[in-house]
Amino acid sequence: MDIIGSFALMLALLAAGYACVAGIIGIRSRRPLLIKSARNAGMATFPLVTLAVATLVGSFFLNNFSLAYVVEHSNRTLPGWYKFAALWAGQEGSLLFWSWLLSIWAFVALFANRKKHPELMPYVVVILGGIQLFFLMLNNFVASPFALVGTISAAGAAHVVRLADGNGLTPLLQYGEMDIHPPMLYLGYTGFTVPFAFALGALLGRYPGEKWIHITRRWTMVGWAFLSVGILLGGHWAYKVLGWGGYWAWDPVENASLLPWITGTAFLHSVMMQEKRGMMRVWNVWLVFITYMLTILGTLLTRSGVVSSVHAFAQSSIGSWFVIFLAIIFAVCFGAYWMNRDYLRTDNQLDSVISRESSFLFNNLILLAAAFAVLWGTLFPVFTEWFEGSKITVGPPFFNKVNIPIALFLLFLTGVGPLLAWRRTSISSLKRNFAWPLGAGLAAGIVAFILGDRNFYALMCLILAVFVTLTIFSEFFRGARVLSARSGANLFSSVGQLTMRNTRRYGGYIVHFGIVLIFVGISGQAFNQNVQREMRVGSQLQIGPYTLVAQNFDETSTANYNASRATIEVFKGNRSVMMLFPERRFYTASQVTQTIVALHSSLARDLYVVYAGRSPEDNTPVIHAYLNPLVHWIWLGGLVLVLGTVLALIPSRQPQIVLHAERESVPASARVPVGVGHGDD
Amino acid sequence: MTDLVRLRNLAALVWGAAALMLAVAFAPPLRAQRSPAERAKALDNRIMCMCGGCSEAAGKCNHMGGSFSGPCETAQKEMKEVANRVAMGQSDDLILQSFVQEYGPTVLLSPPTRGFDLWAWLMPIIFSVTGIALAGLVVMRWRHRMTVAPAPRVAPELLARARHDMHGEYDD
Repeated sequence: MDIIGSFALMLALLAAGYACVAGIIGIRSRRPLLIKSARNAGMATFPLVTLAVATLVGSFFLNNFSLAYVVEHSNRTLPGWYKFAALWAGQEGSLLFWSWLLSIWAFVALFANRKKHPELMPYVVVILGGIQLFFLMLNNFVASPFALVGTISAAGAAHVVRLADGNGLTPLLQYGEMDIHPPMLYLGYTGFTVPFAFALGALLGRYPGEKWIHITRRWTMVGWAFLSVGILLGGHWAYKVLGWGGYWAWDPVENASLLPWITGTAFLHSVMMQEKRGMMRVWNVWLVFITYMLTILGTLLTRSGVVSSVHAFAQSSIGSWFVIFLAIIFAVCFGAYWMNRDYLRTDNQLDSVISRESSFLFNNLILLAAAFAVLWGTLFPVFTEWFEGSKITVGPPFFNKVNIPIALFLLFLTGVGPLLAWRRTSISSLKRNFAWPLGAGLAAGIVAFILGDRNFYALMCLILAVFVTLTIFSEFFRGARVLSARSGANLFSSVGQLTMRNTRRYGGYIVHFGIVLIFVGISGQAFNQNVQREMRVGSQLQIGPYTLVAQNFDETSTANYNASRATIEVFKGNRSVMMLFPERRFYTASQVTQTIVALHSSLARDLYVVYAGRSPEDNTPVIHAYLNPLVHWIWLGGLVLVLGTVLALIPSRQPQIVLHAERESVPASARVPVGVGHGDD
Repeated sequence: MTDLVRLRNLAALVWGAAALMLAVAFAPPLRAQRSPAERAKALDNRIMCMCGGCSEAAGKCNHMGGSFSGPCETAQKEMKEVANRVAMGQSDDLILQSFVQEYGPTVLLSPPTRGFDLWAWLMPIIFSVTGIALAGLVVMRWRHRMTVAPAPRVAPELLARARHDMHGEYDD
């Protein structure tokens, strides 16, 4: 069975290579049939890599312990659902998974555009083919998931060995979210390949106008949404599984996922400048290039061990391949830009400094500053090792100190941007629109200060969160009020109509609201509490308004693990409010212990209880309790962010304009639909 | 008053508000006094656990996969030393410096602010300031390019209808 997988991967490699080479020849010789065959070869990688993936997954389910990858990442007692997760548990499988997702994106992009953009698509075929070729080379020659376990006899003959059982899946991955988090993250990473291919293709082919921007906008949003979900799920997984009470540690691999997200966010904003005003062409092309290069850099950091990371389950010497690939991509991008820079030339003009255009410019700049700060902090230990011979640590205190002010400024711009009109905004309009949201924000800050909030950043975050939320709601309200007055519909249905008339604009506002909720959730960190205590049955632990009483400590076991469980009764005042059951599981196959956190989550706070094990000194059970305010808002914000993105992806419903009889004399050219917010992103 | 003057006034107001907020944030009487235990806890999160097995702050030492996921012996020793030095009345800087002398600069979770390591802090600032300056220049250049062209004529009845529909919300 594994031979089928290997063979499919080899065929996929040939197909990708053919797509790349035949595409180049087709473009140069202008032979449509050759270009068509290149495109078909590019699409053929999808069923072939799918077959390879199906073979590997099938090997997990059939307990094929003659495959080294199956031995390393599965065992007979591993529950079926986690056998899917085993696909991306290690280097070889995760690279195959990457290739598979890439082949899906490539297939959809090529199929959806098979009858469109005949001047642009040949370049896209070549670029997608080239990228697939690189990853399939890794799958075939560097990190094959179909390597066999074998022995070599004294005579020198190789024999395939089928082992009785495998080592099992790392317990950190035996968690429901781990079946979703990596696919989301990888879909985000690989999703940026499509806008990259279109941007580079448009530049190489000097594709006229801003069409590539229109084509790729949805692709970018989808990739960005997947990456957002992947990052948030990763945070949620870390929170619930790692047992340290936090969700973001500024680990290099976490940072690697954040970098393309930040530049992708910048692109989603600056792209509007090009669509609306034909501005920032060079900037947009380079933002797409940089975003894609950062996804590859992220992969390099994840897998190479260049920087120390807790995500150590997929490190190897494969990094040099990614360094070469990154260098090639940069050379191609720079070469394409240099040769075609006149194509990107544009006569940028700004009507007013106070305009949506300049707010986007500053928004982009601040996002880039944030990306640079994260990248710089992540790589700085490498630089110190080069220059000083010793690594230093760049941990959360550095990233927090540098990034929190930047993030708060971005939050401020999130509120300012929508209030500024394209081209020009008058000061009086600015004052009118800003006054009450800013006043309300400051009032909220003063109330919080009086109530005892002395954390500067938390206060600033609250003020800005209220300000941004009110600006968003006022945008909905003002538009809906106009619609309501005109159509006679009530305000709520007018909000719905308004949103559906310009889904991109109002979907974007909902995304902004999601970001506000995430910021509020993060600001709660300033008030975290935690207590660790040795507890016998009947012992008490006080944290915030809760009293935790240990009721029992017992043991259970399943085929996969043995568990030690604590039973903790939680009181609020004298009232028993819940029972919590934190666990420690010892996985027999991998001989690793894993904490299972007991979590009671509400909008106000999370009570997070960890059974840390038995004290090494006197064997007494140790309970670590955390009280983390507002964490739930982060996950809620993530949900709102996804809903907003989905809404923005839905095509806008055009308003139906019916002209009255007396106005029918108006010339056709003057019949401009006066829809509120229509076309104004 | 011209738009430019109004803009300057607005900018002065914003800068004033920002300065006030900073003053409020850092003015000593308004800063909450931290207890020795809170100070020690904050310091525990600024130094690494030097056991070599967890890559965590001493205050967050958490050996995933081990038999005990509380702070290890090394982290406990570090935290005890922090608590002792806080009790002796030593300043935060002095306490951190004593750890650097004992374990080297890797014990600090953020780079020191001297020598080559200072660049860790300077570069994000240099990048941001340069970026803002460049963006300002770009804005000025684009603004300078703007030439006033006569606006296309719009039928008065269409204009009146649009104004009526907008209820004066977008009159700028």
